[in-house]
Amino acid sequence: MAAQLTLQAPTALPPQELAPYLERLWGEDLQHSSGAATFTLVVYEPSWLQQHLIRTGRVKASLTGLLERELIQAAKTAVPELGLPLSTAVMDQRLAWELGQQPGDDPLEDLRGQFVDAAISAHMPRRLITLAPTLDSGRPLESLVAAYCPLPEERGGGPACGDVVVLRGGRGSMKEALPLVLPLVPADLPCWVWWNSSLDEAPDLLEALAPPPRRLVVDSSLGQPRRCIDLLVERIDAGQAVNDLNWLRLRTWRESLAMVFDPPARRNALEHVVQLDIDVEGDHPLKGLLLAAWLADRLGWHLVDSYRVDESPGAAPGTGGQMGGGIGAEFQRTDGTSVQFRLMPVPVGSPKLHPGALVGLRLICAPEGRPPLCVILCSESGGCMRLEAGGMASMELAEDVVPLPNESEEMEMARLLGGGHDTTNPLLATAAVLAARLLPD
Amino acid sequence: MGAVLTNPLRVGLRQERVIPPQCLVIFGASGDLTHRKLIPALFELFRQRRLPSEFAVVGCARRPWTDDEFRSRMAEALADVIAEHRTAWEQFAAGLFYEPADLSDPATIVRLGERLDGIDRNRATRGNRTFYLSVSPAFYGSGTRALAAAGLLADSERSRVVIEKPFGTDYASAQELNRIVLSCAKESQIFRIDHYLGKETVQNILVLRFANTIFEPIWNRNYIANVQITAAETVGVEERAGYYETSGALRDMVQNHLTQILALTAMEPPGRFDAEAIRNEKAKVLQAARLANDHEPWTCCVRGQYTAGGSSSRPIAGYRQEPGVNPNSTTETYVATKLFVDNWRWQGVPFYLRTGKRLPKRLSEVVLTFRQAPVSLFDAAGGAPTPNQLILRIQPDEGADIRFEVKAPGSGMRSRPVDMAFSYDESFGEPSDEGYVRLLADAMLGDPTLFTRSDEVEAAWRLYTPLLELMEEAPWQLPVYSYEARTWGPAAADNMLAGDDLVWRRP
Repeated sequence: MAAQLTLQAPTALPPQELAPYLERLWGEDLQHSSGAATFTLVVYEPSWLQQHLIRTGRVKASLTGLLERELIQAAKTAVPELGLPLSTAVMDQRLAWELGQQPGDDPLEDLRGQFVDAAISAHMPRRLITLAPTLDSGRPLESLVAAYCPLPEERGGGPACGDVVVLRGGRGSMKEALPLVLPLVPADLPCWVWWNSSLDEAPDLLEALAPPPRRLVVDSSLGQPRRCIDLLVERIDAGQAVNDLNWLRLRTWRESLAMVFDPPARRNALEHVVQLDIDVEGDHPLKGLLLAAWLADRLGWHLVDSYRVDESPGAAPGTGGQMGGGIGAEFQRTDGTSVQFRLMPVPVGSPKLHPGALVGLRLICAPEGRPPLCVILCSESGGCMRLEAGGMASMELAEDVVPLPNESEEMEMARLLGGGHDTTNPLLATAAVLAARLLPD
Repeated sequence: MGAVLTNPLRVGLRQERVIPPQCLVIFGASGDLTHRKLIPALFELFRQRRLPSEFAVVGCARRPWTDDEFRSRMAEALADVIAEHRTAWEQFAAGLFYEPADLSDPATIVRLGERLDGIDRNRATRGNRTFYLSVSPAFYGSGTRALAAAGLLADSERSRVVIEKPFGTDYASAQELNRIVLSCAKESQIFRIDHYLGKETVQNILVLRFANTIFEPIWNRNYIANVQITAAETVGVEERAGYYETSGALRDMVQNHLTQILALTAMEPPGRFDAEAIRNEKAKVLQAARLANDHEPWTCCVRGQYTAGGSSSRPIAGYRQEPGVNPNSTTETYVATKLFVDNWRWQGVPFYLRTGKRLPKRLSEVVLTFRQAPVSLFDAAGGAPTPNQLILRIQPDEGADIRFEVKAPGSGMRSRPVDMAFSYDESFGEPSDEGYVRLLADAMLGDPTLFTRSDEVEAAWRLYTPLLELMEEAPWQLPVYSYEARTWGPAAADNMLAGDDLVWRRP
């Protein structure tokens, strides 16, 4: 289990007493502490999946908000039992929804906001505000507060401390929480808002919680793809610093592809790409589209057209509709040559946690006067066989297996906090715009 | 690097840490280092989007420049770079300021503090300050005191001091300097810079050793016969005669750069990759190091000085003929020394360090020579099998080679050595950042991993104390042999290795 951030149980207070209490805490009780001059982290943490797994008795655990191993295992077990396709990712909203239809009323010890991954607490958030909606939509708003000091071994000791605020209640009460949150965000420190849930959920709350210049962190693999990509583009266009965990999880793929072309002898091949194929798990195409868009942007390709593709190569006969179709597109290189792109959903027996994880990538380059080069990257779990088919063996092959990062959301989040960037990554900014155009309506 | 195209897929791939709001104060801003290294490094960080918008550089020196004059002088020095990035320079230069200040005049430091408060307000730098002492070493102690007296180091979380080399001139002076600076600030605030540690290939020693499983099992006295560390320069003393005459190669190169490379090569694996764990291991190995013969230190060190050389069409002046050099100077421009590291890993393995000016090539490398195969089964082309070597090339042509025996083609079973080569250029094809880019960023991030701690510096000085004492008290025992410019140093250095049945590598 992750480290508990607060050594003492948080104090429950009436919501209106929150701000005066914190003022008193820092003014009198902690007067010898300077407080960490770091940042505020506001987390919207509904953890619906975890709540349902515990409520239905599939897991006996406290609700910390973290997706721990036994929760993941229970979720995977639930997928076939609930009649969902085996390719359903643990974080797929359909799983939480199906679990929500199941009976059960096991008690739930709600510790959200009090357990923080050590990777995040090592950055010493000055204030950590967790909004924790409960399954009982009519539950009134509760507020809890505690001060914390990281243990010395976490980062060199020192008097810097922060505080933890938890606002918990039914969905309706989350709106009541908003006026409480705003005055709690110190104006002189950066503020990150982590929407740790589907982007289909509570758009009004997201809008109110994360106005610019707060730095927004979302996960575009969670939610309806069009809504996710449009929200990314809209926020980026508005000049907000946006980070997308789905994009960050592409890191190993971008790094692996770049590595193929690091040797100067291979560079020239990048100017002669004629085909790009990407396979993804399940029917959430955004991650694959972001990767294609990044590549197209880096190589200066111009998008000519994008369209739906009906064929579903991985589907067994008679189940073609289950995976849905793919996406095709045509790009034009800077020299006017056409580049064909296909993104296809493929079924997998053991999906990763997030919908739309990458299974494989194939890039075919046809330099003049030289044999074609075929680059195939595949995930550790997916294998390369589908992309190796079709006569690729006659080309110069550059194959590699992309390692699974095997990192939690919290690790990704910690990396973001550690990076400290106050603008959107320009690669994401351009890739998101192009990915939005690649996704057919 | 030549004209290799940038890998377009690499652009922006590295997500480096952004430096927090910061004001960097450079003392010695009118000096060479500022416009040659520091401002270019900062501009590079700016172009890499690693500097926050809340950032300022305040140049300080005695000259009565204005902000605009400082900006235009820096622009002149960086004209070539700016030509390609004019807009970026204009944005960057808006954060450059200048304040006349003299570290020996407390009133000017107090005034500087007031100016910094104003910059904090205007540029939102939040009181995070890094003071870079690019001044004469004579001012390191008094300068730190002046900063402390003006209250500029009071906040140990937000203020830091970067101190250039040389940190002291011997063990006693390094101890004294440490005592002074640590009376003014905590160790965590002091960043003793050694620009060699900013080099990608020096850091690669750690990665090569501790990210692979094939090297560490043989990285010890059971397999390694000797280690040679070389830092050769083709240039002479250039414009640094004034400094060099009081320093010499031992203080200028061996005590810091070469000894740091020795520490990285010989240290034990740290438990984790953090500053203290790494610096603990480096300090331990330096404390275990000693001259090969403590009782007769003259037997394990050779000093040299270059004389005129070159060709008739391109003659090279000898050291004593260089401008600013005493015609009777006995300052060494070459040093070779032999050390041992008294611990379980390295007992009995000699480490040979050499550095010199006006040598035939500019290069730095670490060469680990492995023990001979116990039985020679094959007829070796060279008479006997060549010992395996691992060569870590630090500069130029950065990379690594492994030398091993293979069967020479033909009907017999003759063996001959071949090299298996890794080249940064061929594998990555992109130049790495200047050392100062990395080190300045780390200092402003408060990451001391690549900076030397007080105990490391003292251990490094203590290691060479017998030689420094000899040079001071009985210089005839450590004579300065002459060597012709553009040769590999004096014959005495070859003789030192010949005594161990070894030769210096001729790279």
